[in-house]
Amino acid sequence: MSHPKPQPSFKARAGAALADPTLKLAIDRTTGTAERKRAAAVAAFPEFDAARARGKAIKDHVIAHLDHYLETFERNAIASGAKVHWAADDAEARAIVTRICLDAKARLVTRAKSMLGEEIGLPHALADAGIERVETDLAEHIIQLAGEAPSHIIWPAMHRTREQVAELFKAGHHPPPTADDPATMVQSARRELRAKFLGADIGISGANFLVADTGATCTVTNEGNAELTTTPPRIHIVTAGIEKLVPSTAHAFALLRLLVRSATGGELTQYTTFHCGPKRPGDADGPEEMHIVLVDNGRSRMLGDEFREMLRCIRCGACMNHCVVYRQIGGHAYGGTYPGPMGAVLTPVLDGLAGSRDLPHACTMNGRCAEVCPVGIPIPTLLRAWRVRSWREGLEPGVMRAGIGIWAMLARRPALYRLATRLALPVLRLFGRRGWIGSLPLAGGWTAHRDLPHPPGRSFMDQYRDQQAKKGAGQ
Amino acid sequence: MTARDRILAAIRASLPTPRPAQDAIAAEAAALLDAPATTRPPLAAPTLAGAFAAKATALGTTIDAVPDMAAVPDAVRRYLAAQGLTASIALQPAAALSDLDWTGIETHAGIAPDEAAALGVADWGIAESGSLVVHSGPQTPVLLSFLPLHHLVVLHETALLPHLEDYASRITGAPQPRNAILITGPSGTTDIEGSYVRGAHGPGFLHVILVTSTG
Repeated sequence: MSHPKPQPSFKARAGAALADPTLKLAIDRTTGTAERKRAAAVAAFPEFDAARARGKAIKDHVIAHLDHYLETFERNAIASGAKVHWAADDAEARAIVTRICLDAKARLVTRAKSMLGEEIGLPHALADAGIERVETDLAEHIIQLAGEAPSHIIWPAMHRTREQVAELFKAGHHPPPTADDPATMVQSARRELRAKFLGADIGISGANFLVADTGATCTVTNEGNAELTTTPPRIHIVTAGIEKLVPSTAHAFALLRLLVRSATGGELTQYTTFHCGPKRPGDADGPEEMHIVLVDNGRSRMLGDEFREMLRCIRCGACMNHCVVYRQIGGHAYGGTYPGPMGAVLTPVLDGLAGSRDLPHACTMNGRCAEVCPVGIPIPTLLRAWRVRSWREGLEPGVMRAGIGIWAMLARRPALYRLATRLALPVLRLFGRRGWIGSLPLAGGWTAHRDLPHPPGRSFMDQYRDQQAKKGAGQ
Repeated sequence: MTARDRILAAIRASLPTPRPAQDAIAAEAAALLDAPATTRPPLAAPTLAGAFAAKATALGTTIDAVPDMAAVPDAVRRYLAAQGLTASIALQPAAALSDLDWTGIETHAGIAPDEAAALGVADWGIAESGSLVVHSGPQTPVLLSFLPLHHLVVLHETALLPHLEDYASRITGAPQPRNAILITGPSGTTDIEGSYVRGAHGPGFLHVILVTSTG
């Protein structure tokens, strides 16, 4: 597994997150802005729904012909001078990247944010190989100083307030920033990282798209750190999931219009760059070697099961910005590489359902994620599919299984169901105090946080029958 | 079996057989680009220059229109003076720039890590998004667009394209540069509490010198 098994349980992590006095504030500041800006960007783009339908169709087309596009991309990338590697899982991907770094005797590696890199555990692998790694995205730089994992796929340091960032920069920057407003801190990071960019032996990036007909990889950033990462070093390594393919540059643009609006509410990121092979003979700058590592890590398995639609995901983060659960607990509580609704679908694929069965349950099924998804992924349906699988595989806890088993037995026998509710009501009323039930055996998960209303003396069906009888008598 | 063979075999095991012919796939892919006007935003203004300017300035890019290339050095001088910078600039090593009369402005070819200002030429501009397109090459270092604090770019009005797809069709079939870069506004970040700050790692200022002559 790429990730050390998170401890303690999801419920304990979520509880700790809810008790954190600053976390909710930090999450609200960023997700609130993201939600407003996305809504404005979509409102200003009347063709958004048609564009979304087309984006979905492009991704479905690529997934249906994934073998063809992988081979086409490989052929064109090799023709451009790049070396193409294939990794079936995270361990193979780590080994390939580490080997390239060690063969090049690299001491310093710069890295532009890539969630795939996090997924395959690249930061730990480089550390284990004794290679200094410098994260160049501002948010990744913040969490590297804090020794943390990303808590959001677009804003990895979303869980940190500006005051906390200021503390990290004061300890980690030489000289430290002179003030703790965002502008001064961004300038401090710019100074701190500039020498690292120019002194690196290898630059590692991810890819937002792999363009099949040119063999190019595409990165999008607002900071300009990707190009400063991939240009000065002698070697550029790209790690990318095999679902990132698009047929051509024009198809990439169709998806970029959706990606950026959904992620940040912008129209395009400040820098959209296609990287095609190493520097050409005579080029003024650029790397001498380019390596592309194509990573499967569970994706070909998803192609054959009920999670296939998740392969459309373009990693915009809109689902988490609009999720009522994510906005309460933040990304770390999810415990996997990818947080929020899309993470709750992907983490069981990547880390196994046994250790992550709580995630598909941490959902209210309000459907906001599917509503804002730019490629129409039915996330609640996929989460429900994980719940079904968890039940079938016997992963649900005994109390839950027994409870649902009893309920199912009663629900299929209406007479018995009515009898049971009639018998349960007087028992429930025994727990009531001043109109509310404050604690109840087996319902602690509910009553620890809120009271249940005191139930009426008679069941709905009994009252309904009486009412119908009265009506009948009155006519 | 190599990892490549295993991955492709696993993919094919989940897809219908026989696999479709290549031209059928190509036709399907082409159909996904049909009627582009129905799936993209309209231009922000009736003219390409007007639409480009509306989008670019909204992102903080500044624009100075000049009649021809000979007027570019004066536009550079104006900009540097207005920003309180010394009359010195790194030039992209292209004849179109170095052949101009730079009297009164110190110019140099190399780009220092803390370069204050650099001037380059864009290959295209895109009206839909207010983007500049730069292709890397022997006369176009990538770092010229990223190291300076002030990035000045010459854009010919004749090089304006309406939409992103129009740029894509220009490069289809042509040899690809190492880097094709779309620059849409000055560098920025929202990584600290979502508040926008300009000048993250790339240039904090983007200034377009729009050459309006058609010749």
